[in-house]
Amino acid sequence: MEINLIAESLKFMVLGMSTVFSFLILMVLVLNLQAKVLNKFFSQKVKVVGIETQAKKLSKNDNNALVAAISSAIEVYKKSK
Amino acid sequence: MKNLIVKFLVLFSIVFATTSIYANDVAKADLNKDYQSKSVAQLFGSLYESTGLNAMINPQEGLESHGVVISTFNQGWGRVIMMLICFTLFYLAIAKGFEPLLLIPIAFGGFLANIPVADIAGPEGFLGILFNMGVSTGLFPLLIFMGVGAMTDFGPLLANPKTALLGGAAQLGIFGTIVGAAFLTEYTSIINFSLKDACAIGIIGGADGPTSIFVASRLAPDLLGAIAVAAYSYMALVPIIQPPIMRALTTKEERKIKMEQLREVSQLEKIVFPITIVVLCVIMLPDATPLVGALALGNFAKESGVVKRLSDTMENSLINIVTIFLGLSVGSKLASEKFLVPETLGIIVLGLLAFSMGTAGGVIMAKIMNKFSKHKVNPLIGSAGVSAVPMAARVSNKEGMKEDPTNMLLMHAMGPNVAGVIGSAVAAGILLSIFK
Repeated sequence: MEINLIAESLKFMVLGMSTVFSFLILMVLVLNLQAKVLNKFFSQKVKVVGIETQAKKLSKNDNNALVAAISSAIEVYKKSK
Repeated sequence: MKNLIVKFLVLFSIVFATTSIYANDVAKADLNKDYQSKSVAQLFGSLYESTGLNAMINPQEGLESHGVVISTFNQGWGRVIMMLICFTLFYLAIAKGFEPLLLIPIAFGGFLANIPVADIAGPEGFLGILFNMGVSTGLFPLLIFMGVGAMTDFGPLLANPKTALLGGAAQLGIFGTIVGAAFLTEYTSIINFSLKDACAIGIIGGADGPTSIFVASRLAPDLLGAIAVAAYSYMALVPIIQPPIMRALTTKEERKIKMEQLREVSQLEKIVFPITIVVLCVIMLPDATPLVGALALGNFAKESGVVKRLSDTMENSLINIVTIFLGLSVGSKLASEKFLVPETLGIIVLGLLAFSMGTAGGVIMAKIMNKFSKHKVNPLIGSAGVSAVPMAARVSNKEGMKEDPTNMLLMHAMGPNVAGVIGSAVAAGILLSIFK
């Protein structure tokens, strides 16, 4: 019997997308649960995720002295070249 | 008495000497049994016949190579064209920086595979041996995945797990492309893909080299070369393919959305994560466990923090060695008789479609999530769901900063980015399970 390729591939699409989503949804649920359980019963020293934190910290405080020092260093470096 | 002994010795030595001389004559006649005297012109003529030039200029009708007849075009001009294609890949890798780590060994492998006479890509040639050892068996892609696991930080995903859904939506590229391949087969007369071929091509949309090679080596070994080259070339082109689609599907306001800062993730969560993933895979889709398992092993070694030497080897020496082998093996499939077919053109078109659909899927999913959730997601990070770690995440970050220079999306985009790796491994498992 001739297989209708397009119908068949559409079936694959339905199967594939629904499985990928159900896998990932299950993963999201498990990860959320896991985070709650682990953080409740095993509190540990934590690592900071995200590179924004340091940049934000620096830009929040007015580090005028620091900025001046860096820019003068750059100036010296440029002249030395 | 003394005289007699001398005489006897002389006699003995003469008899012995003549017999040994006679034996030498027989050996000399045997020595050159397979050679007939040739003139100098004949000698040069036979040398010419064994040159590559002759093999390419005077192709033999019906020459067979390992059971497959190679057309005269593929013995001559085909090889020259393939070598030029390989040189173009060299140019792209060296001058344009397109995934040089893979394109250099792949293109050089292709160059070697197209040498006439030597048969380097055949089962006895060294490329063929590497191919049979690592690609037919599916070993090399798994070792690469182990290294990827050891390099990847799943922290951003753990901090905001729901972004994993973006990595799921981007797999639309895979399944959409399968439909596309079916359309091409149905409505064109020259391009013919079987369903297995279509699935192997679709996996290009996973934007993940090792996964593509793993699936293609199982489902469509003949298309492997074209699929791998398309996958890696488009991964290198992510910064060009994605931004127009991302901009077309989002409004200015959406691109300016600032996401809340990611929470802190404990070391323990990171250690448990690879095990959780494997357990989920065991329950739902054991077919995906080779890929996911290798990824988890690498990540587990990294996060456990007690086997620095092992994780260091996985993410450096081992992955480098395997990259050389994998590149050369894939290159062996760039022989002209396998690459210069109309199907390759179809694969290149479909690969682009796969990347575009994956990008669109991720972005649209982010917009849908924003409708239902109060924690807004910047749709620009959706495109990172296609995997292509970390290039796609960088593209999201760059596009975000174009609208608002203070908006750093990189870490947020890493979540869907690494989820995309898991998503494409799961999709690969599904495709393999269909044809069991």
